[in-house]
Amino acid sequence: MFGLPTQDEPIPFDELPLDDPLLFDEPAGVVIPDIEWSAIAPNLILMLGGILLLTVVSLVRGRTPSWFSAVWTISTAVFAGVTLVPLWQRVQDDGAESVMAGAIGLDGFSLFVTGVMCLSVVLGALLLEGYLRREGLAGPEWYVLLLLSASGGVTMASANDLIVMFIGLEILSVAVYVMAAMHSKRVSSQEAGLKYFVLGAFSSAFLLYGIAMVYGATGTTNLVGIQQFLSETVLTQNGLLLAGFAFMLVGFGFKVGAVPFHNWTPDVYQGAPSPVVAYMASGVKVAGFAGMIRVFVVTFGPTYGADWRPMVYALAMLSLVVGSFGAIVQTDVKRMLAYSSISHGGFILVAVAANSEAGTAAALFYLLVYTFMIAGSFGIVTIMGRTGDGLHALSDYRGLSKARPGLALLFTVFLLAQAGVPFTGGFLAKFYVINSSVSQGQYVLALIAMSAAVVAAFLYLRIVVAMYFDGNTYRGESATLAGPKVRIPAAAGVALGIAVVGTLWLGILPGQMTSVAGDAVAQLVAIGP
Amino acid sequence: MGQYLPLITLLVLTGVFGAVSVVVSRVLNPPRPTEAKSSAYESGITDITEPPERFPVRFYLIAMIFIVFDIEIIFFYPFTMVYSELGWYGVIAIVIFSAAVFESFLYLISNGALDWGPARISRRSVIASDPDRTSTTTVRRVGADGRAFALDGEES
Amino acid sequence: MLELTETWYLVLASLVFTIGAVGLMVRRNPLVQFMCVELMLNAVNLSFVAFARSLDDVRGQAIVFFVLVVAAAEVVVGLGIIVAIMRRRQGADADDISLMRG
Repeated sequence: MFGLPTQDEPIPFDELPLDDPLLFDEPAGVVIPDIEWSAIAPNLILMLGGILLLTVVSLVRGRTPSWFSAVWTISTAVFAGVTLVPLWQRVQDDGAESVMAGAIGLDGFSLFVTGVMCLSVVLGALLLEGYLRREGLAGPEWYVLLLLSASGGVTMASANDLIVMFIGLEILSVAVYVMAAMHSKRVSSQEAGLKYFVLGAFSSAFLLYGIAMVYGATGTTNLVGIQQFLSETVLTQNGLLLAGFAFMLVGFGFKVGAVPFHNWTPDVYQGAPSPVVAYMASGVKVAGFAGMIRVFVVTFGPTYGADWRPMVYALAMLSLVVGSFGAIVQTDVKRMLAYSSISHGGFILVAVAANSEAGTAAALFYLLVYTFMIAGSFGIVTIMGRTGDGLHALSDYRGLSKARPGLALLFTVFLLAQAGVPFTGGFLAKFYVINSSVSQGQYVLALIAMSAAVVAAFLYLRIVVAMYFDGNTYRGESATLAGPKVRIPAAAGVALGIAVVGTLWLGILPGQMTSVAGDAVAQLVAIGP
Repeated sequence: MGQYLPLITLLVLTGVFGAVSVVVSRVLNPPRPTEAKSSAYESGITDITEPPERFPVRFYLIAMIFIVFDIEIIFFYPFTMVYSELGWYGVIAIVIFSAAVFESFLYLISNGALDWGPARISRRSVIASDPDRTSTTTVRRVGADGRAFALDGEES
Repeated sequence: MLELTETWYLVLASLVFTIGAVGLMVRRNPLVQFMCVELMLNAVNLSFVAFARSLDDVRGQAIVFFVLVVAAAEVVVGLGIIVAIMRRRQGADADDISLMRG
């Protein structure tokens, strides 16, 4: 009925060879997998860093300096990033390989995504430091969750097995559910956490059901095995497999906030603590797209590309349109940025729909640029929220150019980069995506993407206008005198600095990173020769 | 298209089943809440007031902690079935696993999640020891002067 | 006489999954929504086991372990969030919790 590759009938119990010595006395030897710890060093460092941080602060409760957790987190992420370098060399020299008994794929793609995850952890931790102090929230738990969720994201990006990917996704998501709800003084934070949790669990279940269907259709959850099975076998009835695609796409679509599964995004982004949103918008999306590319482009792409591409095509188109037009009617800056992140997601989906190596490279470059500019934007939102994290209306940004010209300038750079203005990373990212799309003959989608970018530019200009030209009064006082009074914590300043340098560097001198993104090919390699 | 037919049939079937369940339960048992029905036990003495506390939150916390340590058994059980074949590899793996699980135990203890009873007095009562509180300030007298006094007392 | 093949378990799993999915969208009480999530995950478990049986492959059953643990972790986190909300306000209902639009 479902096209199951039914094999031999299972042996009825009373016919089991119970006296077979091989079965009980001397069971078939368990093959001990060859574990090469150094191959997953970045992931191990992130996870161990999180667990050790929790241990240390539990043992010396309340006697660590307030900066300790942030410094620990940032050094852990930097250390994990440094260990990527020898692994990258190894992959470039010897080619991709499959480690941990074929469960983890070590290729340029997974290493690149790991690097981006480390970057978003560093930016998130820098923003959290000043934020927690301002809001009077103590706790190393935020940093622990940040590290653990990053390790889940890395697991997801490097998974070579659908179940490993699912577990990575859950480690990533569960930690972020908690972080979204962790601002104990704001009801809307807990509301956002609950909403994110319910919809996230819903989407995880869909993804898992999709995995079950693919397992039923192909007989394995290993991506290499699936790819081999699909290229060697012609399924006469592939309904189960296609349903698996659809369910998995729903699951991934929720995680990356693609329309029509985007409903949670504006609410959660509005309610969750701003630095957490910076991480959610960068790290979580990066991991989600990495998983999506690994499953759809790399595994199913060569054999069943024609079947899933229309679905991704539709998601991309809807995300671009809804993201751009939905942003226009918003009056809350966090909601605006949420819609703009939906439209960015649409752009990356365009690259995924291209189903080519160029498309994957374009998506990777876009994700890197996107991490810089969205973390920077939400970094400014974090600072501008002021104590209570509640002042996010567009009118709260009026006259910022007078009170804090530097901050207004930085925000302008991030917004222009998001709009795709030349000499910023955003322009090239959009350019590569559209290029990869056109080279696969997706002219209509490329056209829609370009129009959506123009519409979205209007939104970014609205914020810029509010900061520079709109109204001379701020809360009843002359903007020239008052303006929004904000304090910029040193750590957040560093985060903004990194973000703006990254955004401009990738716009002006992109050659190095584009070649790295081009080298970061995703490959599935079977274990052993 | 024929190969999709079972799938579509199944989807339609499940949708219909869901819809029918909702409709049938509405039809067979229309919600007509009465006072008695919506009370806590549908019988007995009516509650005079809402209970101020439903359950101490601590019960929920303990339940949640229990789930964590309950579910780890899932991994221990298969391990005990094959530990002799796994040898040192299995021992090391299970030690790593246990370390990760019991790390959360350490965190819980350090956070005081397992401290039972009144470990510390969170709010000291001021009523008994306040020298300003005498019978003249606390007992309200009847009549106009009492009211005036009470008002003064509230304002001061 | 119908033979009880794996297909019937798959049909049952898909029914249970649908009930969970519909329930999660229709019901507003977070606790009921959690139960629906559990229903969905366990439906997937059932289909994993059924597939493992029909493929004669033990890995499908091993996957169920991991799914169970993931489900437990999710429930703990969800209950934690609900307890945090209930400490602040009387009763938790997805409709009551609507400070934000949408």
